[in-house]
Amino acid sequence: MLHAPLIGLYRPDDVLAWEADGPRTASEFLSDVARLADLLPDRPAVLNLLSSRYEFLVGFSAAMVRGQVTLLPQSRAPQTLRRIAGDYDGSYCLTNPDEAVEGIESVMLPSRIGLVHWTAKIPQIPLSQVVAMAFTSGSTGQPTPNVKTWGALVSVARATGSRFDVKSGNPNGVVATVPHQHMFGLEASVMLPIQHGLTMHAGRPLFPEDIRDMLEEMPGTSLFVTTPLHLHACVTGAVKFPAVGMILSATSPLTRELARQAEQHFQAPVYEIFGFAEAGSVASRRTIETDEWQLLDGVVLAQEDPGWTVRANYLSCPVRFPDRISVSKQGTFHVLGRAEDQVNIAGHRASIGDLNQTLLELEGVQDGVFFLPDADEGSVTRLIAFVVAPGKTEDDIQQALRTRIDPVFLPRPLLLVARLPRNETGKLPREALLKLAEHHMGGSPHDV
Amino acid sequence: MTSSKVSPFEQEIAKLIVQALKLNADPSTIRPEAALFGEGLGLDSIDALELSLAISQTYGYQLKSSDPEIKAMFSSLRALARAIEKNRTK
Repeated sequence: MLHAPLIGLYRPDDVLAWEADGPRTASEFLSDVARLADLLPDRPAVLNLLSSRYEFLVGFSAAMVRGQVTLLPQSRAPQTLRRIAGDYDGSYCLTNPDEAVEGIESVMLPSRIGLVHWTAKIPQIPLSQVVAMAFTSGSTGQPTPNVKTWGALVSVARATGSRFDVKSGNPNGVVATVPHQHMFGLEASVMLPIQHGLTMHAGRPLFPEDIRDMLEEMPGTSLFVTTPLHLHACVTGAVKFPAVGMILSATSPLTRELARQAEQHFQAPVYEIFGFAEAGSVASRRTIETDEWQLLDGVVLAQEDPGWTVRANYLSCPVRFPDRISVSKQGTFHVLGRAEDQVNIAGHRASIGDLNQTLLELEGVQDGVFFLPDADEGSVTRLIAFVVAPGKTEDDIQQALRTRIDPVFLPRPLLLVARLPRNETGKLPREALLKLAEHHMGGSPHDV
Repeated sequence: MTSSKVSPFEQEIAKLIVQALKLNADPSTIRPEAALFGEGLGLDSIDALELSLAISQTYGYQLKSSDPEIKAMFSSLRALARAIEKNRTK
């Protein structure tokens, strides 16, 4: 059986992670993993909800050593977590002490008191071992698991590293705003640094000041892994940033203008990664130079009817491309538009059909529909929902939705109406919905 | 000590919240003591980021997660208005 080591080229005293209270060396990391692996209950699957990127990595690694699958939920809505836990018999949660989830057995990370330092051997993980399940909202409204083998995660990390010539010391570290439970976060902020001997910052900065502080805390220059939303906040505010080595952005398209401003602010090239939970990262581009996406090594596109699929030797079967694309002779591709029914809000994908289904299943809801108004410059466009629910208040429905869907998809606003403008075939033309929104909000939807 | 009467500055911040986050709400209906995030207005971390941007542009105050007051500050309109008033540079 083929294996790959848990971490890349580190000497025992190299700093693998930067925690809130200081550095963690590679040998401290290996002993943290060994100790936690001994403590984990004997179960098949674990929901790793730890908020420190380093603690998450320790949990993820210990689970792999024990042959356990890490479940990566697409949202932290308690209902979603319980649903996933219910689907995996005997699964448990690894959580911070104050964040236990009602109805799921929780295991806390042990404190680091009494830590023994020794040069533990680097665990070797079989490439075919299923190490994670990344969940997306499926066509039935149920979270759909996407199987991730150790081989897939290692291959994507290596292909990304070779695309950008990442090697130990160049850059020295990774600072990331993206959640590590999200596929892009796992790949770019966890797998990429540990496979290339870099220092990973354990924090998850939100505000521009946080980002600056963490970049300054890190020794050497850092690779900054983020999203258009955070880049927009960074270039708009008055905060001055230290130079970074490179910026990787993903989760939603970056405009060329924002990419140009970010390159100036951070004095670094800005690259975008194209990926989706089912296949992981598949392509990259330097936004100021081109609209064309260049596939990562080992990724191949194949035309099928309808649309395209992604193939790679680490994917057990071809994966359908979520967007409509055109492919050039050179093998680069251009995104034409979203596949119908898909929305992407701040990097979270969902099917409108699923969201509608969830809405219609709520008690007291007779009819209802979500829709995405036209995009607006510079800020995140949110969904709008029209709901027919006599006797219910807007608040009743928002509260019910809150436990069932990712908060980024909560409608803003949710409008109660007497009936929906369905046409004679029962369909809801977009024009009619836009008109209804205008009527209810006294202006076009994005003016409110 | 807690009064539901809204001060002019709280009204101003309520307007800023509604504008920055494109809420379909009348600013005067945001209760000064009600939660902004989670249960109350239902804001999330994307909103926190967008709101921080509006605050820094309007009042020259840069928010920071490591600020020990940050949690308390985002707890309600009143707490937010108080923090901005104290830290504003313009």
